[in-house]
Amino acid sequence: MATHVESLDNGLKVILRPLPDAKALSCWVSYRIGSRNEVPGITGSTHWVEHMLFKGGGKLKKGDIDKLVSRLGGKMNAFTDTDYTTYFETIPASAMDTALMIESERMRNAAFDPKEVEAERTVVISEREGAESQPEFLVEEELWGLAFHVHPYHWTPIGYKQDLAALDRDPLYAHYLRYYAPNNAYLVLVGGFDPAVAMQHVREAFAPLKPEPAPPPMRLVEPEQRGERRSDLRRPGAADFLAAGWHIPAFAHADTPALILLAGVLGGWRGFTRFAAGDWRSRSNRLYRALVEGKLATDVSMRHELKVDPSLFLADVTLAGGASLDRVEEVLDAEIARLQKTPPSKAEIERAKGQVRAWHQFERDGVTFQGILLSSGEALASWDAWDELVGRIDRVRPEQVRDVARRYLVEEHRSVVRFHAQEVPR
Amino acid sequence: MNLPDRTVLDNGAVLIAQALPSNPFVAFRGSVPAGMTSEEAPGVAEFLSHLLLSGTKRMSAGKLADRLEGIGATLEFRNSEEALVFQGRCTKETTAESVRLLIECLSRPAFPPREVERVRTELLNDLRLSLDETRYRAARRLSELVFPGNHPYGREPRGSEVRIRRTSRKTILEFHDAHVGPEGLILSIAGDVDRDLVEEAVAGPLSKLPATNEPPSPIPPPPAFRARSAWIPMPHKSQVDVAVGGPAVPRRHDDFYALYLANLLFGRIGLFGRLGHNLRDEQGLAYYAYSSLEARTAGGMWSISAGVNPANLERTIRGIREEIDRLRTDPFSLEEIADGKDNQVGSLIVSLERNAEVASELHRMEYYGLGMDFLERYADLVRELPEERVRQVARAYFDPDRASMVVAGPMGRIRVPL
Repeated sequence: MATHVESLDNGLKVILRPLPDAKALSCWVSYRIGSRNEVPGITGSTHWVEHMLFKGGGKLKKGDIDKLVSRLGGKMNAFTDTDYTTYFETIPASAMDTALMIESERMRNAAFDPKEVEAERTVVISEREGAESQPEFLVEEELWGLAFHVHPYHWTPIGYKQDLAALDRDPLYAHYLRYYAPNNAYLVLVGGFDPAVAMQHVREAFAPLKPEPAPPPMRLVEPEQRGERRSDLRRPGAADFLAAGWHIPAFAHADTPALILLAGVLGGWRGFTRFAAGDWRSRSNRLYRALVEGKLATDVSMRHELKVDPSLFLADVTLAGGASLDRVEEVLDAEIARLQKTPPSKAEIERAKGQVRAWHQFERDGVTFQGILLSSGEALASWDAWDELVGRIDRVRPEQVRDVARRYLVEEHRSVVRFHAQEVPR
Repeated sequence: MNLPDRTVLDNGAVLIAQALPSNPFVAFRGSVPAGMTSEEAPGVAEFLSHLLLSGTKRMSAGKLADRLEGIGATLEFRNSEEALVFQGRCTKETTAESVRLLIECLSRPAFPPREVERVRTELLNDLRLSLDETRYRAARRLSELVFPGNHPYGREPRGSEVRIRRTSRKTILEFHDAHVGPEGLILSIAGDVDRDLVEEAVAGPLSKLPATNEPPSPIPPPPAFRARSAWIPMPHKSQVDVAVGGPAVPRRHDDFYALYLANLLFGRIGLFGRLGHNLRDEQGLAYYAYSSLEARTAGGMWSISAGVNPANLERTIRGIREEIDRLRTDPFSLEEIADGKDNQVGSLIVSLERNAEVASELHRMEYYGLGMDFLERYADLVRELPEERVRQVARAYFDPDRASMVVAGPMGRIRVPL
């Protein structure tokens, strides 16, 4: 698809994808700041800053962002990831300037009114408490904490409750000023517009913004893990859970395409982005056959967490009532060992590749999803990273899938969390 | 967008198609009247919906999954109060095969005993997990209070643990044979389609579906409502969920559009309307605090949902009551109503930007008999709503004396009325 890419003098990268038939437009502004840029004591600050950027500042009073987008029948939201933070509006294409104005004000002029910061403290804590009510969140937080001792992937973007309780307004505001600048951001527009006209409007909205000194690079590197790490959580719950994570390289690594097919063969493929598949679950994969059809589990997933820095290859299993965690681990190990011994068949690999190709089409359903794809691709490598990756996946041979299973799915680089559901108090 | 093509096939099935060539794949959505309103044994419709991908008379579950995923297609079945709903995605080239597999799943399921037992395990686990969620518990109990007497709009879709254990393969088979067929079937399809593809790849196979199922029986109206409250202690949780709600209107009721707009202003627009402004934005009490309106064939329900720290429970309930009362003391302003109307008209573009969204809307238009020109008329329907009507329905339906409340979570000894 035709895509126009240009950078403004202040460093803002602009990625325009015109879709002539589209009546809507999706505007995404992303910042190269995520929880990986935090340090202990200010965990969760990136996410809290994201919340504050809906509260006005500059030309926008509190409530204006809501009103402006709502009157257009638009949708908007924001997401804080480990690696980046992104804001979007999807609105009728004729209202492009509204989105550009909101985002240019958000970039440098957020108010951070102390009263509003305080009101938002309980909101982010409430968001965390809602997550804490879910055993799956507790397991995930435990797993990343176990697998990473040095690198900030140790904590999740929501941050620790004690940090959220103690953080002040000034460090949050300093965090904002440091990272929210045109030279640490990129803008994606997808939808019904003429690229030359859109570029002119983007310049008018963003060219006056001054760049900031580049943020210091995040230098923390996780040392090699020297043995399996395990944790057993015993808490009230309705089912046992098993989560395992193996260290894998960063997105840009040459093994990424084979690892993606490995995830597909073992656990099925649900697209590159987190929202596209909805509730759909793959059934044509080895772990579903072994664990779900085998009545040991009611849900299983295998995914490659695609990140800027070395990350994790994750298995998550919801156990069936009466199934034992030991037995599920044995079956998981056996399936991995089988793949390490013998490459998947050509038919199995072709099916996995076909799924990736089909999902790549499904993930381009509409301007909002295309905005997610371009923005997340740019955060990891380049706006066209997914297209390029699909091409590389197509060239992977079955032996390469076996080889990455041998290289990365090893016990000494694995962390395991077992959630033992305890009787729920009445 | 041109008006969609609507075809009634000889066997009674209705096919709606809309070409949207800019998104290069196909999304479809459909239903047959085999939901909870059709079941005599509670839980059988849910059981059925979980078993339709478990193999056909010609193909095992594994082979079916390999075929579908081998062509890169998705297919899902879901039970709902009124219908068995299905949806999927495929490419233009694989549309014929995808539709053929859909029809095979609907018309020739095998219900292998091993899969029946697997699904039984899955349903038992799902039920236990749901019952351990504060939000689910509050919402589920509220539905039971608003639609009492075991009405299908109110009851747990899975029945109960006992029901799941007792449901037999024979019961599922009989339910399927009686209710799944072309009678009442709707299939909408949107995306990279043209007339030839729809006729050959979709209408052709769909018209071969034998007409064997019973016509859908009328859905009973909900029983009389009496406001009540329920407290569900879940001391091991970190958050309390509050659900408040009461009866609303069926989808075709004269008050629907005014109430839809009132609900938008009350607890949805922007960051959750007036409710979100008070509870989240001003008081910082909750990450989510919003209202919902469900309008079905025979009845409806409005509800409020909020998740809060237990220490903020009383303030939250007080805040909800304040906002309900304010609908009388400080009715929606002209500006609020104008903003809401603009939102609804503008959302016609934004909420239909994806093939899947268009397929879903086409299905809704046919299901509720809104007419294929509904989207063309919608802006006028909204614009012509008198402001006083919106205020009046807000007062009439969001009535604290006609509202039930459920609280689920670690609320300790707190017991306060709405």
